[in-house]
Amino acid sequence: MRIRITVMAALATLAGSAGLYPLFSGRAWFWSGFGAVLAVAAGGLLVRRFRLPAVVNALGGLAALLLYLTLVYGRGEALLGVVPTPGSLHRLGELAGDGWQAANRYAAPVPLTRGIRLLAAAGIGLVAVIVDLLAVRLRRAAPAGLPLLAMYSVPAAVRQDSVNWLVFGAGAAAYLALLMADARDQVGGWGRVVFTPRWSEEVPMAGAAPRAASGDRTRPDSSGLSASGRRIGLGAVAIALLLPSAVPGVQPRGMFGLGGGRGGSQTVTTPDPLVSLKRQLTRQDDAVVLTYRTDDPAPDYLRLYALDKFDDDRWTFNRMQSSGKDQLTGDPLPAPPGLSTAASRRVTTRIAVRPQVARMDFLPVPYAPARVTIKGDWRVHPPSLMIYSLKGSAAGRSYTVQSVRAAPTAAQLEASGAYPGDIVARYTAVPHNVPTAVRDLAVKITEGATTAHAQAVALQRWFTVTGGFRYDLSAPPPRHGSDLADFLLHSKRGYCEQFAAAMALMARLLGIPARVGLGYTAGTRSGTGEWTVRSRDSHAWPELYFEGAGWVRFEPTPSGAGGQGTASSPPYTVPEEDARPERGGRTTPSTEPTAPNPQGGATGDTPNHRKEDKTDKLAPAERPEEDGGLPVAWLTGGVLVALLLLAPMAARMLTRRRRWAAAAPPDPARTGRPRPGGGRPAGPAGAGGGAAHAAWREMRADALDHGLTWRPSDTPRAAARRLTETLRLDEEAAGALGRIARAEEQARYAQAATPPSAEGLRADVRTVREAFAAGVTRRARWRARVLPPSTVTAGSAAARTAGERITDAVGRLSTMAEQATERFRRDRD
Amino acid sequence: MAVGTHGGGEPFMETGPPAPRGPGRNGGAAGRPAGLAEVVRVADRIREAVESVIEGKPRVVRLALAVLLAEGHLLIEDVPGVGKTMLAKALARSIDCSMRRVQFTPDLLPSDITGVSAYNQELREFEFKPGPVFANIVVGDEINRASPKTQSALLECMEERQVTVDGATYLLERPFMVVATQNPVEMEGTYPLPEAQRDRFTARLSMGYPDPAAELEMLDTHGQSSPLDRLRPVADAGDIRDLIEVVRHQHVAPAVRQYAIELVSATRKHPELRLGASPRATLHLVRAARAYAALDDRDYVLPDDLQELAVPVLAHRLLPTAEAQVERRRPEHVVAELVNRLPVPSPRK
Repeated sequence: MRIRITVMAALATLAGSAGLYPLFSGRAWFWSGFGAVLAVAAGGLLVRRFRLPAVVNALGGLAALLLYLTLVYGRGEALLGVVPTPGSLHRLGELAGDGWQAANRYAAPVPLTRGIRLLAAAGIGLVAVIVDLLAVRLRRAAPAGLPLLAMYSVPAAVRQDSVNWLVFGAGAAAYLALLMADARDQVGGWGRVVFTPRWSEEVPMAGAAPRAASGDRTRPDSSGLSASGRRIGLGAVAIALLLPSAVPGVQPRGMFGLGGGRGGSQTVTTPDPLVSLKRQLTRQDDAVVLTYRTDDPAPDYLRLYALDKFDDDRWTFNRMQSSGKDQLTGDPLPAPPGLSTAASRRVTTRIAVRPQVARMDFLPVPYAPARVTIKGDWRVHPPSLMIYSLKGSAAGRSYTVQSVRAAPTAAQLEASGAYPGDIVARYTAVPHNVPTAVRDLAVKITEGATTAHAQAVALQRWFTVTGGFRYDLSAPPPRHGSDLADFLLHSKRGYCEQFAAAMALMARLLGIPARVGLGYTAGTRSGTGEWTVRSRDSHAWPELYFEGAGWVRFEPTPSGAGGQGTASSPPYTVPEEDARPERGGRTTPSTEPTAPNPQGGATGDTPNHRKEDKTDKLAPAERPEEDGGLPVAWLTGGVLVALLLLAPMAARMLTRRRRWAAAAPPDPARTGRPRPGGGRPAGPAGAGGGAAHAAWREMRADALDHGLTWRPSDTPRAAARRLTETLRLDEEAAGALGRIARAEEQARYAQAATPPSAEGLRADVRTVREAFAAGVTRRARWRARVLPPSTVTAGSAAARTAGERITDAVGRLSTMAEQATERFRRDRD
Repeated sequence: MAVGTHGGGEPFMETGPPAPRGPGRNGGAAGRPAGLAEVVRVADRIREAVESVIEGKPRVVRLALAVLLAEGHLLIEDVPGVGKTMLAKALARSIDCSMRRVQFTPDLLPSDITGVSAYNQELREFEFKPGPVFANIVVGDEINRASPKTQSALLECMEERQVTVDGATYLLERPFMVVATQNPVEMEGTYPLPEAQRDRFTARLSMGYPDPAAELEMLDTHGQSSPLDRLRPVADAGDIRDLIEVVRHQHVAPAVRQYAIELVSATRKHPELRLGASPRATLHLVRAARAYAALDDRDYVLPDDLQELAVPVLAHRLLPTAEAQVERRRPEHVVAELVNRLPVPSPRK
């Protein structure tokens, strides 16, 4: 029969079904589900009266569900209002079809039509059948959580906002209760729990009536086990509820709507080649991807990928063959191809990638890496010098890159010689179907340019200055070759991807070896030699090959507030007469894109995206320049941390003040009843006693704060003696300590104490505190000031008490439930 | 050997409760009772006197005095020759009261202690000849050499302070204190005291060897003549009765009583003890603590007093389990451990 488990399974299903509330408008669906669960439980109970296979149990539950649905939704056509007939089944089918249509028509929360209610009841009922079968018939309570979890995942998948934490807590608690009931039954099957005898156990005297057995005689006592079970379960639910809100980035919105403040999202994704680039650029939160420290005063971009292949539609990279010899061993990497005559300098960069970054299996490194120091299996692709891993992720890693940064002059590039054959073969290939208009355009732009460098400079200048292009993040990402042509010839609206792809393509068309670099700009400076790179610093740029200098970067994308915020043009790409201040500002790429960003009109890549076309039309100068949000966040965080750090100290000071205030002589008007036979001002419990107790507790707290041992078995004078001896207190401090101890002793135990003066005791406590501070190590002294253990102890004691209360309450509740079941069983019998 | 000034050994058959002659209780009002000063003064004199004989053992002397003032009995247990009997005699002699000494031997009979009824041929009636127990201080030397029958003859005297011979009950004098010495039970030819009798002793103390300096001084003083001979009484029985009366009214705070109860009941639950301390032990403990506090010039008892007295008052009443015996855990260790473990009573937070 297993009534208890049946009830628990039904309760768990019900509590789990509560999580469906975001799907419906209104609450009536719950009662439909409630009825279905009841019906299934009853059906299961009925079937279990007979020893039948598990399949029959499931069939019984289904039959009960069908009866219930017929009763509620197809009564008119049913026999006796309950028994299904073809007509009633047809009616149910119709209703279900209606419901299905409604569910497809409306977005959640759907209006509660009759059909929707039928579907809800049927769905919850089905879950109830599965849970009943698993938990009760098959005695597998743990897997019964899966259908319950499935129920939770429906609203989570459909709706953006997640399930309320209370509802989740209720569901989880009900599931745990089911587990516990099942475990109790199973443990109970082994017989009575044997406890190690302890002297505190009550030994019944001979002849005394035996203690009333708890429960009936066949029930083994598993209360000790279930108490620890309750504790573990409670802890698990608490952790499940609290931990996600404490860990940033577990969910975009914070689990159960608890966590995540402004913007909330902290998840960082690295760009897959081009695909996620736009998503990065349009991210609302602009999360920090990595920080680095470099000795380069104007650091170069951090490259993830080098896209060396233009297929018919887009840039990508050739399939890489990885072998063990590519593994980074700490030896120098292969020399960067082509770099020989041009000037270069060595740069050391220490990069720390944020742990929240997802799927970053390529390392962002400044080109050209010469030596990379990182733990784990990381490999290098020799031709492109990309660093990648087959299994690891860069998230959370810190690594050091020594790179060779080519610093060619424009003249050197002008004078560069012929390209090697393999470079030409690999990096100038262009598919045949590139429109001739694009070829013509490339030739037209570079008219008059005689060298490759002059052509490249002309191209860059055309993109950034003369071509009439507009940086626009709302432009759709290019998917086909025709999109690029459209960008070049007609729309002239796009972002770095279009610019980089187009320039690289045109360079190839002109016979200059080119590829597209993908990664991050140098980011923003956050300190001396410290730089911060955010997701909006994602960038793509063309790299052109010049013999003698190797691969050098060009920048066709507009930079600054009206373009890619932190992009910068290398000096060799800017003709002298063209070097305008804001373009040449590559050493100060601090013009961060601001919160209302140019990409305001992007298609809804991010769920909460709001269209802000108006901001798009604002002149760049009118936009707030500084990223105000983050410093404020940092500031708030800093203040919070500081407050948190100060809390123990503040608590200690408050306690001290409260103690002394309580010890102050009370209002004479309220001084208790007059004592018979004496004009004594106050007894031990009066003001004097209060002052003595306050002084003693203060002194005790001070001792604990300074890390001195305090034994509960020490009497006041024993404690004073011990402290005096261990700290070798001088006469003054020892005297003060003795006075405090004596006052406390009298206040506690004497019949008539001479009330000590509170001021004197206070001064004594101060003396003793100073003596304590002088007698302990510097560390203990600081801890006593900043993180007084007495407060911490009090706090943890309070927490423990609260925890015990909760456990007690849970225990009481379950006892009540047990009693109810017991009563129910008795009544039934 | 009967030394002292016992006034004829005449037993009084019936007496009412002795009227407090001293200052007695001071109404529990402000300041310490005037009687306390008297206690301290007299006790100091006695202490000085005893310490002139027993050198370098202030704790032992103080404990002995506390037992005297707590109307208890003292069991001194130690190896031969460390001054057990000397302490008992010095204590008795420094007080001007009747003192008898009984040397316990295997052939000692109960009537040798309590006294006998002898037929007086002149008066033609039975006449009670009081035994040595009719004295203020009875020194029982090597008490565990006597047979259990004789030992148990002391039982009634010690607890009820009366002797019943041939149906007649004779009250003993006040103060009445038995100071028994015994060799450690492992010694040859001894009958270990039964638990019931051990329980009647308020405290058991062991003398311990004197430290080298004290032993050296002892050589000097004991070289010429016994210091015991030079000892002059510094108080009389009446003084002691007054002191006892003062001690009886020492204040014991409820928290301290609770502590005493916890301490004693902890011995009953201790897994290493077969027999815990009796309720009588609680009584003795608090009584001794009262006296101890008075000797310290305090009119209230501190947990410190109980902690100090716990081992001497409780340890000799406890029986360790067989396992504890095998592990050579002595009840003294258990009690000391309990004292170190139990939290002292403190006011509610």
